Amino acid sequence: MSAEPGLRSAGRRQAVALSIFLLVQTLGTVFFVGDVIGDLRAEPTSFHFIFEALVTSALVLGILFGAFALRRTIELLRAQEQALDVARGALAEVIDRQFEAWALTPAERDVGLLALKGLDVAEIAGLRGAAQGTVRAQLTRIYAKAGVSGRAQFAAFFVEDLLGAGVPKTAAEAAQ
Amino acid sequence: MAAPRSSYPGAIPAGRRDAPPSLWDPVVRITHWGIAVSVLSNALLNRGGSVTHVTLGWIVMALLVLRLLWGLVGPDEARFSAFPPNPLAALAHLRELVTGRVRDYPSHNPAGALMAYAFWATLLVVTATGLVMTGGATPMQVANDKAAVASGDWSALIREGGEEDESELSDAAKEVHEVAANLLLILAALHVAGVFVESRAMRRNLVAPMVLGERKK
Repeated sequence: MSAEPGLRSAGRRQAVALSIFLLVQTLGTVFFVGDVIGDLRAEPTSFHFIFEALVTSALVLGILFGAFALRRTIELLRAQEQALDVARGALAEVIDRQFEAWALTPAERDVGLLALKGLDVAEIAGLRGAAQGTVRAQLTRIYAKAGVSGRAQFAAFFVEDLLGAGVPKTAAEAAQ
Repeated sequence: MAAPRSSYPGAIPAGRRDAPPSLWDPVVRITHWGIAVSVLSNALLNRGGSVTHVTLGWIVMALLVLRLLWGLVGPDEARFSAFPPNPLAALAHLRELVTGRVRDYPSHNPAGALMAYAFWATLLVVTATGLVMTGGATPMQVANDKAAVASGDWSALIREGGEEDESELSDAAKEVHEVAANLLLILAALHVAGVFVESRAMRRNLVAPMVLGERKK
């Protein structure tokens, strides 16, 4: 929750910086092209003109490549954001289904979710406007329904799901 | 792929995404506001023919080149293929707007697309006639000439004057330059009004995506 917006805005800052760089490059090139066209009319065969024309075509190519690179960066950024959203949505769905399987009450679901997000008893009580004793009792009931020993195992239940699905498959793939 | 109601690309049935971007990419935003500010200040603030005016004109030219290039190589919603000029689709869209039923498009809506092409065409005319008027002189040359005249060397003026038919061409260019510049201001007013009306009709802030996107809580 805390790391992701930072990641997103860092990516956006990078795209903005690249765009500004591309703009400065285009500005320079357009001025340079204007200068070269002026030279072309004045002295088309001079060494000065030929050299400047070469430099200008390099600048134009640079802009083209820069634009392509920027497009790739922007598309990569979007793909990452989308993948992150999908993963987050999938995890939320898994948690939801599991809570249902454990027959948690709506209040217990809220408390369970907050506990998964790493909030302690005092914080959960503050957020829900409930007494700390109430939250502690709710947590105990959640752990009992889930058949886990405590908060660490409760959190590990979902993480282990993610890891457990990944490890054997990659091992099997490596064996092939 | 075939959309039943319209062949306009990205009309929802065919599109992967069903709404315009929540934030336009940086190139679109920078060129949009860069051109807006430069055109307004050239039309309203500074004197035609001054070094500032010519410099801003060249900057607009660069911004326009970059945006048109971006229309070929940019991300999907910035590309021309996402919003081809289609007057019939634009009329259909305006009719929908009047009846209050508006659809979402992954890029500009057909009417907005026509506005963008009108802007670009007019900007091309304004910059091209501006170049004819200055004889293609870069801002650096204009500044040099002005400095030379100011220091008493009037030969720069003679160079500017040129031959008879060239000054006739320059006069015609001046005429077109002024008409097209006024057209730009009219288009800008229509554009702002269009954004306002569409935002009301769609119940969505269409300005935010062109600035910094929706502010998240």
